[in-house]
Amino acid sequence: MPGVIEAQGLSFKYTRTLVLENISFCIEEGDYVGLIGPNGGGKTTLLKLVLGLEKGAGKIKLFGVPQADFKEWQKIGYLAQKSPVSQTRFPVSVEEVVLMGLCYDSAHKEPTLANLKEVYRALRQTRTRDLAKRIFSDLSVGQQQRVLLARALVSKPRLLILDEPSAAMDAASRDMFFDLLGELNQKHGVTILLITHDTGEVGKYISKFMYIDKELVFFGDKQAFCQSKKVAEKLGSFAQHTIDHLHNNGHCPLGCQCEGVHGGVGHYAAHGAEAAHGGSTAPLKEKADRPTAEKTDAKAGAGFSAAGADAPSPAKDESHNAPALQPNADDIAPTQTADGGQK
Amino acid sequence: MIGEFLSYGFVQRGLLAGSLVAVVCALLGVFLVLKRLSLIGDGLSHVCLTGVALGLLTQTSPVYMSIPVVLAASLGVLKIMEKVKIYGDAAIGIVSAAGLALGILITALAGGFNADLFGFLFGSILTVDKTEVFLCAALLCALLLFLLFFYRDLVAASFDEAFACTRGISVKRLNAALIVFTSVAVVLAFKVVGIFLISALIILPPVSALLLSRTFKQVLWLSCGLALASVWSGVYLSFVFNIPSGATIILINLLFLAGAFVCSRLGRGYTKKGKKYAD
Repeated sequence: MPGVIEAQGLSFKYTRTLVLENISFCIEEGDYVGLIGPNGGGKTTLLKLVLGLEKGAGKIKLFGVPQADFKEWQKIGYLAQKSPVSQTRFPVSVEEVVLMGLCYDSAHKEPTLANLKEVYRALRQTRTRDLAKRIFSDLSVGQQQRVLLARALVSKPRLLILDEPSAAMDAASRDMFFDLLGELNQKHGVTILLITHDTGEVGKYISKFMYIDKELVFFGDKQAFCQSKKVAEKLGSFAQHTIDHLHNNGHCPLGCQCEGVHGGVGHYAAHGAEAAHGGSTAPLKEKADRPTAEKTDAKAGAGFSAAGADAPSPAKDESHNAPALQPNADDIAPTQTADGGQK
Repeated sequence: MIGEFLSYGFVQRGLLAGSLVAVVCALLGVFLVLKRLSLIGDGLSHVCLTGVALGLLTQTSPVYMSIPVVLAASLGVLKIMEKVKIYGDAAIGIVSAAGLALGILITALAGGFNADLFGFLFGSILTVDKTEVFLCAALLCALLLFLLFFYRDLVAASFDEAFACTRGISVKRLNAALIVFTSVAVVLAFKVVGIFLISALIILPPVSALLLSRTFKQVLWLSCGLALASVWSGVYLSFVFNIPSGATIILINLLFLAGAFVCSRLGRGYTKKGKKYAD
């Protein structure tokens, strides 16, 4: 069975600046892929290449069809990071905006009753039904983003491509948003490719991670991601923030249920940071020691995320504290690194 | 008075050409304003100066000479935006400056400014001939057909180009078509309002209409209505008071804009009050 997105040797550069180099991967039907990486790492450019919004080198197939010949765009829903009209008054209603998500046979054809039914189904899904007759540009940015999600969903897509969609949403809308995505993926088998920095929130739903930093650093399931040395080396560059995030919270921020909750990325990040800080390890080690004590509180159950529901047993914790201090490069499955591009 | 005014052939031709051009500019302007390309009218009108100067230099019709020159410039704007990856306003600025500089240079080589050129700079609606009226009518027909077939695509692409691409809409071709229509409209409009004021005819009626309308179709209709009203009243007032027609048309459009702004503020205040009481 062909993959939903098959990319081979993707490269892209703006004038002389290399943005992406030789990226290959295959996203299969039903995958929920979290696309992460540093700012300027090429995540949005990768999505644009997949959608044909930018032209680069390499080959892309969508649903087994070469991108240039692909016609069934209704199979793909896309939601960008920013609303297209945040300030300007654009005279279209929410209903009309969602209608834009449907592909018509003819450009001048008026929408049918069936089209409108689909529009209202999508609006109900994103809890924006009561906004249907409002002018889109009069809505708040968070409301606009939910309406744009409805536009992405109206054609019942088999693939959703989302570029940091929750950035402007409040906490309640964000929870609703990620729950909806999780439901679409798990109940309806919709494949999702999502750029996010909010790995803690969305981690409980994601099945695979793709880490991009100009090249494909990692692509594979989240368990392997947490133990990947290559990822950890990259995360080292964000050391302080990452370590705070990892260890002060007392659980894996990716929401994964990896056995090495505190020994995976956090551990390697610490080492990456040590390298980045020229071997000055004392503060980092101090921070790395902190979670051991805090974990017990976290396991007691207070405010743990869904991902943390299966909190590791004390015995497991101990066993994973040890490797946390002694990294082992062999603990990464070679098939899940970027080299082959496939898991 | 009005009967006498309408009895002149040159007035009839001027009003007809002015009306046709005003509707074309009003329709195109809605899309250009929403796509933040409204200044393309200004940029291309400056390029008209090159065409006019070439026409005067070669003793050919400045209108016919300007059409290929402005078309080439508009395609240049598109290419610069696409290849150099700069914003549309900068691309328009580059082409506009080049057009203006070339126009001035050619005018100087031709022996400096004269009365003909002055007429093109500030408009001379009453000198429109039959062929130009026919060209204006053909342009409006072509634009209406284009809108009929691509209305939904144009609205979608004006709203969100990236998403429109993911629906299989050829945004590049739509943009190219819009700019080509604008080029021809700019050339045909410079006799109505003059090279310096064409962009106002593209920008002012759509902006006024946007302030007052709730749907896209309302904007298109109202924009056309305001443009027509400004041309008719402008030409009439210029006839009565013996003042320049182009400048009068634009000032009337500015009055409409001020009125639209006041109405929209009052309307918004009313809505807010209503909401307050409803709460």
